Amino acid sequence: MRLLTIGGVISYRALFNWATPAMFIGTLLVGPVFQLLFFAYLGRQLGVADDGFYIVGNAVLAASALCLFGGSMAVLNERRFGTLGHVLLSPRSRTLTWIGRALPYAGNGLLVAAFTLVMGKLLLGLPIPAGAWPGLAATLASAALACAAFGLVLGAFALRFRDAWLINNTTVTLMVLFSGTNVPRESLPGWMQAAGNFIPVTHAASAARSLVHGASFGSVAPRIGQELLIGAAYAVLAGVLLKVFEAESRRRASLDTL
Amino acid sequence: MRTLRMLWIGTIMQVKMSSRGTFEIATAMIMPIVQATVAVYLLRAADSPHRMIEAAVGAGLMGVWSTVLFGSGGAIQRQRFMGTLEMLMLAPRNPAGTILPITIATGLTGTYAMIATLGWGWLVYGIRPEFAHPWLFLAAVPACVLGLGMFGLLLASTFVLMRNANALCNTLEYPIWLLSGMLVPITVLPAWTGPLADILPTTWGARAVHEATSGGAVWPAIAWCLGISVACFALGALSMTYVERRARTAATLALA
Amino acid sequence: MSDYAIEADGLRRSYRSRTGWLRPQTTVVDAVRGVTFAVGRGELFGLLGPNGAGKTTTIKMLNTLLIPTAGTARVLGHDVVRETREVRKRIGYVFGGDRGLYERLSALDNLRYFAELYGVPAREQKARIGELLELVGLTGREGERVEGYSRGMRQRLHIARGLLHRPEVLFLDEPSIGVDPVAARDLRKTVADLAAGGTTVLLTTHYMAEADELCDRIAVIAGGELRALGTPTELKRHADGRRVVEVEAYGVAPGTVELLQALPGVRGVQIEESGAAQLLTVQSESDVDVQSDVLAALNGVRLGRVSARQPTLEDAYVAIVSGDGGPARESLVAA
Repeated sequence: MRLLTIGGVISYRALFNWATPAMFIGTLLVGPVFQLLFFAYLGRQLGVADDGFYIVGNAVLAASALCLFGGSMAVLNERRFGTLGHVLLSPRSRTLTWIGRALPYAGNGLLVAAFTLVMGKLLLGLPIPAGAWPGLAATLASAALACAAFGLVLGAFALRFRDAWLINNTTVTLMVLFSGTNVPRESLPGWMQAAGNFIPVTHAASAARSLVHGASFGSVAPRIGQELLIGAAYAVLAGVLLKVFEAESRRRASLDTL
Repeated sequence: MRTLRMLWIGTIMQVKMSSRGTFEIATAMIMPIVQATVAVYLLRAADSPHRMIEAAVGAGLMGVWSTVLFGSGGAIQRQRFMGTLEMLMLAPRNPAGTILPITIATGLTGTYAMIATLGWGWLVYGIRPEFAHPWLFLAAVPACVLGLGMFGLLLASTFVLMRNANALCNTLEYPIWLLSGMLVPITVLPAWTGPLADILPTTWGARAVHEATSGGAVWPAIAWCLGISVACFALGALSMTYVERRARTAATLALA
Repeated sequence: MSDYAIEADGLRRSYRSRTGWLRPQTTVVDAVRGVTFAVGRGELFGLLGPNGAGKTTTIKMLNTLLIPTAGTARVLGHDVVRETREVRKRIGYVFGGDRGLYERLSALDNLRYFAELYGVPAREQKARIGELLELVGLTGREGERVEGYSRGMRQRLHIARGLLHRPEVLFLDEPSIGVDPVAARDLRKTVADLAAGGTTVLLTTHYMAEADELCDRIAVIAGGELRALGTPTELKRHADGRRVVEVEAYGVAPGTVELLQALPGVRGVQIEESGAAQLLTVQSESDVDVQSDVLAALNGVRLGRVSARQPTLEDAYVAIVSGDGGPARESLVAA
């Protein structure tokens, strides 16, 4: 859940560390697989749900955590490297700029999700119908995009409030609960189920599960659409928030001092 | 005597330091509560009847491990960034002795995770903290924290050498939760993981705490936990001495 | 017991770094290439050199933080590689810069922690810390957290920490970096007092005046090698037989330095920006008067004060670092 450690967060070089192979493999590839195994075995032990539930759920979640951090970092990095002022001053559409920055993370997230899904399938032996793969790819992509947009919103908050990582870590952990990736949504209280409808991952995870169980792409398309809609809504929200916070920080002259 | 005093002062200073960082405090306060919430719903969804107190205690244990793992790894990294790692290593002492207070301090901070999850469970979900062996519980928790701490020390020795200690940290959170059966003891794991789990002090620590909660033979688990902890400490001290030398050769004590 | 406080014999240190991970390439940098010197007990010894000369690496090999790639070193007769703990008990290490302190702790807590670590007996700690706070002038501010300290205050706290266990040998690595002039003067006084009290001090610096004023002997290090060793007076002789002409100019064209160097009799040219003006320092053979040639070469450039003077330690340093040997071809261009 915590992709970045406390030490890494504080360290100025955290980003540099991301680029090293050990960091990449350790954090992005191995971590999610262990997370998947943890919940899958927990699920077997407790008899909460079958392996498929956990494998698919956690694969989607792996993409989401990464994209969420990515979206958030797209905004945060600018401040860290002291370039936030320059970006805000550039005459190009800022919302597009931010989304452009978040896209590589979304791509990366997709890769990790696919890896996690394949590892889960190999390690725990989950049969996935061959015809389901294109649909799964589309589903994972929609989740990745929605999460990147959600990450931008969190990043916008990070501009305004200092402890961005606390926001990110807490959000990702809460998403584990609300999105029903690891706890069946039926067992959650009503308000949590309701909240789950408005965050990324929920619909994508549900669509992916149906696909693995042999549903046709057409039958899950509405859910993928919902996921994309949520993503679009968050992208708009992020754009608005960034504009508002930008105007505010110019007034308070706190662009780089934050 | 002097070593004990040094450990004591060192621990106080490390606790003081981590109690003054808003990020650390907020993370330490919020994450265990969130995890406890997840645990409660997981156990509620289970077919087999579970006592909810298990969820609270299990989430607490997970929190202690997270704190120790990230604390030990993060602390070494932080010392390196602050430029104090060199000053610590310059002390005319066994390097394990200078790192131990950091580990103890993170363990103490981690104990908060246990208290917080128990409190949260009681307040929000009405889970009464009733233990099969309340007094043994009070003995099992420190033993468990010690076991986790010593394991953390062993890990920390590798962190002195590696600039990318974070990578290791990130990958070790879930496997230990899983192998050691922190949330609930896991019997459905593949058989080959059994011996692996048996040599981890975290397994025995978690077992001691769970047995004190739900009933069972607590003392043997505590004894195993402490025994393995001692071994971990000895190994950690040895490895630290070796690693310190390696670090001087490879020039990894300082950042630049 | 050895007669020397510090003995370095053929010390070498190279750093390996790997770049790239698809096709890793190992690059080896030789930071120190065989340095030999000895420092007597109670001596104040200076290690002088430009940035990147290998001063810090040398100090870190002597104070046990780095293991030499080759060569040996002893501190008070103890080998720095094998008898690490014996060496550490007897040395103090102070380095310049902002880092190396616990920011979130008060100065007092920092000192208490390190007093414990460095094995200062419990009953002496309080008095010793009080004494050191007094010495470095932090009395009254010791309860404040270090994060609020100025650069100079941090440096003084560094020194207090380095002295906690009354080390016999003190390593000072560029202690005056970024310290304001008044604080730097206080610092020099503290160091001089320590040396007078019998502590052996190894000081690295790139401030000439500091080295000239403080050090009994100075080793000049450049490019990882020892270029000269002697008392300040002896070192100044490296500039013997030279004359120095200083010219204040406004708007020296690029390439002028090379032009001046090519003049007959010129041994070295240095250019330094000072505000709107540039200060040209031209060293020449003492029997050649280059002043008129220099001024002719600067034809068209607006000039300020022009003066000729005897060489100082700084000129000697420039002569040593820039190689000395060759005729009229070297220069050191300082920003």
